[in-house]
Amino acid sequence: MAVSDDRVTFWFGCNMLRHAEMIRLSIMLLERAGYDVSAAGGPAYCCGTSHDHQPHGASNMAGRTVSRFNEAATRDGRGTLVTWCPSCHMHMSDIMAPGNAAAFDITHISELLVASIERLAPLLTVPVPHRVLLHRHLGFSTHVPINDRVASVLSRIPGLELIEGPAHPGHMCSGIATVPGALKAVIGETWSAAIANCADTVCTIFHPCHREIAALDGRDNIRVRNWVQLVAEAMGIETSDAYVGWRNGGAPDIAAIERAEPSRYQTLIEPELRAPPLPVASAGVAE
Amino acid sequence: MTRLPRARAATTEAFLEQTGPELAALCTECGACFNACPMVDDVNLRGADPKIVTSGLRQLASGAAAPEETVAWVGACTKSGQCVDACPQKAAGLDAMLLVRIAKQRAINETRQLPAKQDPSYFPRIKTFARLQLSDEELEKWL
Repeated sequence: MAVSDDRVTFWFGCNMLRHAEMIRLSIMLLERAGYDVSAAGGPAYCCGTSHDHQPHGASNMAGRTVSRFNEAATRDGRGTLVTWCPSCHMHMSDIMAPGNAAAFDITHISELLVASIERLAPLLTVPVPHRVLLHRHLGFSTHVPINDRVASVLSRIPGLELIEGPAHPGHMCSGIATVPGALKAVIGETWSAAIANCADTVCTIFHPCHREIAALDGRDNIRVRNWVQLVAEAMGIETSDAYVGWRNGGAPDIAAIERAEPSRYQTLIEPELRAPPLPVASAGVAE
Repeated sequence: MTRLPRARAATTEAFLEQTGPELAALCTECGACFNACPMVDDVNLRGADPKIVTSGLRQLASGAAAPEETVAWVGACTKSGQCVDACPQKAAGLDAMLLVRIAKQRAINETRQLPAKQDPSYFPRIKTFARLQLSDEELEKWL
């Protein structure tokens, strides 16, 4: 099948599977921007970036994943790979493609949404009257000007006041977590900046940051939202966030746990959901 | 839209094997990458000699053991990317972040100066999150 500019593969990565609503919203936004979307992610499409200790295995994973996207390009006409995760994007650009012939181009979802903003803007009709602090990192800007792009999309939402938060080291919070004390400092700085700027919303860009900050949702009357959720809200789409609910005392329904296997839920999922949030200083209360 | 680079090797493993020494050869050990790194204070390396640290970076990228300051620094890389533009050899083709990444891999797998961080529950956990939330159709189509 001939490659078409509007047929894309949305590669959401592995850890986005904690946030199924964000995957669905991303697909919906791309579709409203005019793209025909096929989504792919999870272990079968692993980039291998988190397997530095297994160079041969990581290399095989990279080869398999590139081969699948090559097949999507040649068989299904999907010659554009749209990324969400900065690790996947950088790994594909810097390591996977130079070691495997790729028959597709790469772009980040933010690039397509910004390029389609005149098509999307008329759909942003519902005011989102919130003072929103954007949680940012320095890193991914070597490949994609993500902070500016997300800010430019959010700036089109009626009623939304945007505050650009401190630009933290790393490309997202999961990278920072490997350095003792660094993640606690980053989350603390973001939360303090939200309080100091009288924000009522902290907006995450990437899923690992959302995962880390989710447990603070509601504290100091500040809610935690991802940027695609805010864009969807402005389109009048109700946005749920199961992960935020689970991190704040909720739990999946019994049928979902049965489907996932209760023993796996108890050993693999519950410890993460019940882990205490990183300590941050609340308004008027020392940490 | 970005055109991906043309393949220079048959596998990523082969690419990394050949690229480490190539990037190391471009490095002048000036220390600019180290000085630009926002993680230096987090690992108490502010007083370290940037030239010694980056000399070790070249050694590691070629598979040789490096001073402990270098190992601590590459081990603390969080991909902030500030080293990329700081590097005066960027125009010559030196991607400083990739050099640090390769050095870190070699410190784990070859010189064994960094511990391997293995999490055997990584994929099972992701699959369980998927089964908690995705419909049968989504599981079939997406994964």
